[in-house]
Amino acid sequence: MSQTIFELKSVYKIVLQDISLKINHNERVMIFGPSGSGKSTLLHLFNRLEDPEQGEIMFRGEPIETYRIPELRKNIGLVLQQPYLFPDTVLDNLKYGPNLFEDWKEEEVQTLLNYVNLPIDYLDKDVDDLSGGEKQRVSLARTLANKPEILLLDEPTSALDDQNIESIEQDLLNLIQSKQLTVVMVTHNLEQAKRLGNKGVYLEGGRIVEQGSLPDMIDHPKTEALKRFTTNY
Amino acid sequence: MERDVSNFSLLVLIVFVMVPFTISYFYQLGLKKDIMWSSIRGALQLFLIGLILTYLFNLRPIVGIPIMLSVMITIATFHARNKGKELPNVFITILTGLIVIEIFVLALWLGFDMVSFTPEEVIPMSGMVIGNSMVAMGLSLERMKSEFGTNQGKILAALSLGATPRQASHITVKRTLNAALIPNIDQLKTIGLVQLPGMMTGLILGGIEPIVAIKYQLVISISIFSSVSISAIIVSLVMYRFFFNQNMQLVDLEQLQK
Repeated sequence: MSQTIFELKSVYKIVLQDISLKINHNERVMIFGPSGSGKSTLLHLFNRLEDPEQGEIMFRGEPIETYRIPELRKNIGLVLQQPYLFPDTVLDNLKYGPNLFEDWKEEEVQTLLNYVNLPIDYLDKDVDDLSGGEKQRVSLARTLANKPEILLLDEPTSALDDQNIESIEQDLLNLIQSKQLTVVMVTHNLEQAKRLGNKGVYLEGGRIVEQGSLPDMIDHPKTEALKRFTTNY
Repeated sequence: MERDVSNFSLLVLIVFVMVPFTISYFYQLGLKKDIMWSSIRGALQLFLIGLILTYLFNLRPIVGIPIMLSVMITIATFHARNKGKELPNVFITILTGLIVIEIFVLALWLGFDMVSFTPEEVIPMSGMVIGNSMVAMGLSLERMKSEFGTNQGKILAALSLGATPRQASHITVKRTLNAALIPNIDQLKTIGLVQLPGMMTGLILGGIEPIVAIKYQLVISISIFSSVSISAIIVSLVMYRFFFNQNMQLVDLEQLQK
């Protein structure tokens, strides 16, 4: 049975126009499209870092505004494109979210590190001493420390080399499967979308041009726009 | 008789003005007009203030002191506000801040008999406190804007993890406070070693015993230190709110300017 987690009803925000979209429990939705099509803005709407100018967003059947914002954001974890770690150690970053809700449990740190494949001795490392890939892993673990039910990922591998992409992707797949997470991810990488997602949303010029199941949607696009995009990719 | 600088001696000050003027002339810096104008304007301003002070000093303290303090606080507010014009409520925040600081300092000075309630003592000393607070508030505003600009990503990350605006801007506020307080701490450390502070120099020139001058200098230096700290705290703790909307979302700085 598919339970609807998010429902966007004719949402407008900056470039986004008339976005209507449903996201169901356990779905892994990949949002892709050319730059400037509003992919990141769409992601920010889900955990209320931004609000629509018009239209409505329902979360679990209720208008999203009815939820308390800090708890909503805790529950709908967002990993930004850049890791933006707080100045201090890896451990301080991991504790940040749970500490806000007085919910930090020291014994969970090992599990968190396992999710992102980082050794335990990294905990005391200064974040300035980490590589790009390691920073992104810490950023992911920091979001996971909040135990979100839904994970929003904004091109989490865009700044990484192929080797790092592959290994983070594998970690993500294991994580999604083991924690039964609902995932909404923005990516510009169609192969990655096929590897990680089971539903695709193609955005162009602020509108949803096509949506469908993955990998079919990318392998057999129905619209001219998506055909062009996949051919030029 | 009190020591005075003769009018002739004052005229000789032109020699000092001629130094930058000549440099500007030879190196074609294009500053000749500015140098002359600022020297004349500065001199006229000071004489005008001299006349006003003479007038105010002759009024009853209970009348003269509030008038002068109000004028100083108003001018200082307008000046400091320029550093953060685009932020809402900046004028009222600075104005309230300066009034609070002045009342606090005055209460301590008068309450513990450090300063007597005469225009000769209250006005110049308050001027120093208000002036330094004005600079501190302006700097804190500027610093806060730039910190919000450079740390936008981190603030966004904190918000996305469930932080409230207060929690998300903690690092930004901390850095703003640090930036405002460190120069003052440094200044206090080297006070009297690098240069004799202005007020102490003035008192010594006026014939006051150095040890008495130092006591006054301590009163003013510590008062300035404290008021600068309060200024930075007021600006940081009040103004950060205006970088967020009621839905705990970061407001675009460019949007604020509109």
